[in-house]
This record gives sequence, structure tokens and C-alpha cells, in this order.
Amino acid sequence: MTATDTEQASVQPRRTALHDRHVALGAKMADFGGWEMPIEYPGGGVLAEHEAVRGRTGLFDVSHLGKLAVTGPGAAAFVDACLTNDLSRIVPGQAQYTLCLDDASGGVVDDLIVYLRSDENVLLVPNAANCAEVARRLTAAAPEGVTVTDRHTELAVLAVQGPGADDVLAALGLPTGHDYMEFVDTTWAGGSVTCCRTGYTGERGYELLPAADLAPALWDALLAEVTARGGLPAGLGSRDTLRTEMGYPLHGHELSLGITPVQAGTGWAVGWRKPAFWGREVLLAERERGAARLARGLLARGRGIPRAGLVVRDLPQGDRPGREAGREVGRTTSGTFSPTLKQGIALALLDRSVDVGDEVVVDVRGRDLRCLVVKPPFVQVQTR
Amino acid sequence: MADFDCPEDLRYTGDHEWVRPEGDRVRIGITAYAQNALGDVVFVSLPEEGSVVTAGSPCGEVESTKSVSDVYAPVAGRVAARNEALDGAPELVNTDPYGEGWMFEIVPDDASAVGALLSAADYRAQLG
Repeated sequence: MTATDTEQASVQPRRTALHDRHVALGAKMADFGGWEMPIEYPGGGVLAEHEAVRGRTGLFDVSHLGKLAVTGPGAAAFVDACLTNDLSRIVPGQAQYTLCLDDASGGVVDDLIVYLRSDENVLLVPNAANCAEVARRLTAAAPEGVTVTDRHTELAVLAVQGPGADDVLAALGLPTGHDYMEFVDTTWAGGSVTCCRTGYTGERGYELLPAADLAPALWDALLAEVTARGGLPAGLGSRDTLRTEMGYPLHGHELSLGITPVQAGTGWAVGWRKPAFWGREVLLAERERGAARLARGLLARGRGIPRAGLVVRDLPQGDRPGREAGREVGRTTSGTFSPTLKQGIALALLDRSVDVGDEVVVDVRGRDLRCLVVKPPFVQVQTR
Repeated sequence: MADFDCPEDLRYTGDHEWVRPEGDRVRIGITAYAQNALGDVVFVSLPEEGSVVTAGSPCGEVESTKSVSDVYAPVAGRVAARNEALDGAPELVNTDPYGEGWMFEIVPDDASAVGALLSAADYRAQLG
């Protein structure tokens, strides 16, 4: 037996403030975006951790996520003129999903969360692997007086996700019940914590940003409450199956420099009426003519798991124009076993001629796996 | 590295299969180390009964939430049985890799081929 799908670290990975906690719990660790992160924990495993989040609560360390502070007069206006989403849609105390595009190609440099504190204070949370590139582009474009500061290791990010998340936070005296995508700055054990109603699982939950030196004590207190309620510490393995069930994009898979937001179905995160954002010209033109391929979900009809990067082919579709059995109509971008549905699921970029409700086949190592084309999510969203 | 169980009475391959001689057959599965490395097993594909396999060739697949891995035939022969229970309960590979999680049985072409496989000590040494 040999693994055909392994990850290798090319350089020494960085460690989060909770590294010792993961090692003490016996977590299986792996390199993720240049960070040594827990994939799963003993006594859990991907399936059990996934089910804990869907049914009870899971606690994740996602401190590998980047943190960039953009500060100074006009900081929010500057961010609004660079990133896609419309910051005027939110007010201080709210967060927003947005995209950083390459101005020339419209491809996605990264997708990120913006925390709006004031006109002069914005916190960006990009992906670990793209943080430096987002910082580089913003720094190069920043006007006089606006500063981009890397706070990657100063802040930790702990995600408490699942239907029991409110009870867990309340037990620690942390604020709960604020609206989805809203955040509250508070103090806990003498340190500051930002408590945001965000997540990447599709469940109700919170992402907490404490100072890194406060993170271990906060982790211990949260974990005690989570496990007392039948929840589990959860690793990046289940985070991936959870987000795939929701159809949430992962940069490097559903989003990349070679994929525009129009194709990826993230046009809702674009402020189309804004006068300026990076990639605006390219994107407007593509929206006008229609994207050649679109993000879809695939639900396996039989036994088998469609994985990322596999060829998707057409099946006979009667005499519909442009359709031909066996023709390549796209590729999968992510794929896994859905622990909730107990079947294979995938996200894919498919030719626009393929409709929701069609059947296609995925070439899984030389075998045809019939799949139904669906519109994600695969599992109902519970975030609100 | 955690200490993984490698029963002394079994033979092993460098690809992490175990082999247990039982009369004229050998029973085959994957080791405790292998199932731990894979994580939760969610699908197992096994060779058909009666099919002929050659030593070292892939004849099945184990899929976890994260990845898919081939299972190789440790010795040449004819497949005499497959563990149908794994269709409905693939997690047996995780919970009982040397028992209920067995995968298939082969009648070897050459019974002495099993003796050429790794001993428990050899396999453990390979794991480091």
C-alpha cells in the first residue's frame, strides 16, 4: 500500500502559538500553506470531527491565516479601491468576504475577510500562503499615510463552530448572539479578543482573534467547554470536508490566478457599481460576454470519490446543441467523501453548456464515475 | 513515531500489507501503521473472487477522506475470498486492521513465496 497523495514541506514550516497544545493532544500534523498544522486528533479523526461540528461543536486552531492591519487616514477607502467587495455595504463592527484580484488578468490573488473597525483601521485576514503577496501588492499601492502591517504571529485565530458554539462562548463570558459577519472587541483574562460571527464550516459559529500570548489559555478554556458538551478539537482535515460540503471556495482549488470570480461564482463578493477595484475592467468585460465555464457541484451516483484535478466528460444528452458524449466539459477543483451525505462530492469548473440536473462522468483513475451536476451547497447552510 | 502493533505471527510487505497463512490460502490486509496514516477509511475496492493476481501489482484500493491508495498483491495466485463486510463497514480497516478489517484471500501459486516476505521485526525496522 502506498499513498499517492502526500504533501511535502519544502522549507521548515512555521508554528502557531498553539503548537504545543496540538503535540500534547497527539494531533497528526502536516504542512499547510507553510505552517505546521493539526490535520486530525486521536480520538476524533476526520469523520468524527466533522460530525462534532455539524451536530455539537468543534474547536479549530486556524492561526495560520494571515493578519494584515491597514491603518492611517483613508485606510478603509484605500482597501475599498483595491479589493472587490463594496465596503460601503458594511459599517464599523462588521466583517466582509472580499477578493484581491490581479488588475491585469482579473485572476484571484486571494480571497479574504475584511474587519472594518473605522475609516482609519481595517484588519485583513488572507490565506496563509497568500498573505505576503497581498501585503506586497497593498504596500506598493498604499498612498502617503496609509500603512500595511503584518500581524501574522501577533494574533491567533480560534474557530468555535457548531450548534453549541454560543453556549461554549457564553460559559467563558465571551459575547454571543451578534449578527452573522458582525464582530465585537472584548477582553478576556486581561487580554483583548475580537469575537466574530464568521466561519468556514457552514454551521453557526465564531472566529476569535486573541493576542498570540493569550491563545493557549483561551484554547484550554474553550476546549474544556467544547469537550464537556460532547464536542471535539477539530483539525484542517474536517475543516476541508466541512467547507467542501458547503461549496465554499478554497484558494488554489476553486479560486486561483487562472480563475476569475465570474467563473468561480463569487460575483456576489464584487462591488460592481464601485468606480475602482483591481481587475475591474477585465471582470466587467467577462461579465458582459458571460464566463466560458462556471463553478458547479458534482454528486457521485455510485460508489467512488471524485478527487481534485480530474477530467469531467459529457454523457449523451439527447440532441441538445453543443453536447457530445465523451467530450471533456471541465475539471474537478476539489473532491472528497461527504461525511454528512455518505457519498462522493466534488466542486468543478464546467463548460457553461452543462446545466444543473445534467449527468456527467468523472474519470476516476480510468473508471467512469457518474455524477449529478448540482448547485452547492450539498448540505443546508446553518450560519444564520 | 507512535508504536504500531505488528503481530509476530504475520508476514509483511514494504507497501504495508500483512499476510497470514491459513491452510492453502493466505489472508491479506493493511497494517495498523497504514490505516493510521490513511485516516478514516470510507471505501474499499477489492479484487473479484477467482481473479488472478501477480505479486507486487495493484489489485485493490483504499480510500480515506483525504486520499486514495493502492493495495498490492503480496504474492501471485488466485483470489479465493474477499471481505464483503467492508462494503458496508469500511471503518473495520481502522478499528480492527488485523482481524475484522481483513481484505482478501489468495491461494498462492507458490506457497514458499510467503516465506520471502518481511518478518514483523523487519517490517518494524523499516518503519524506523
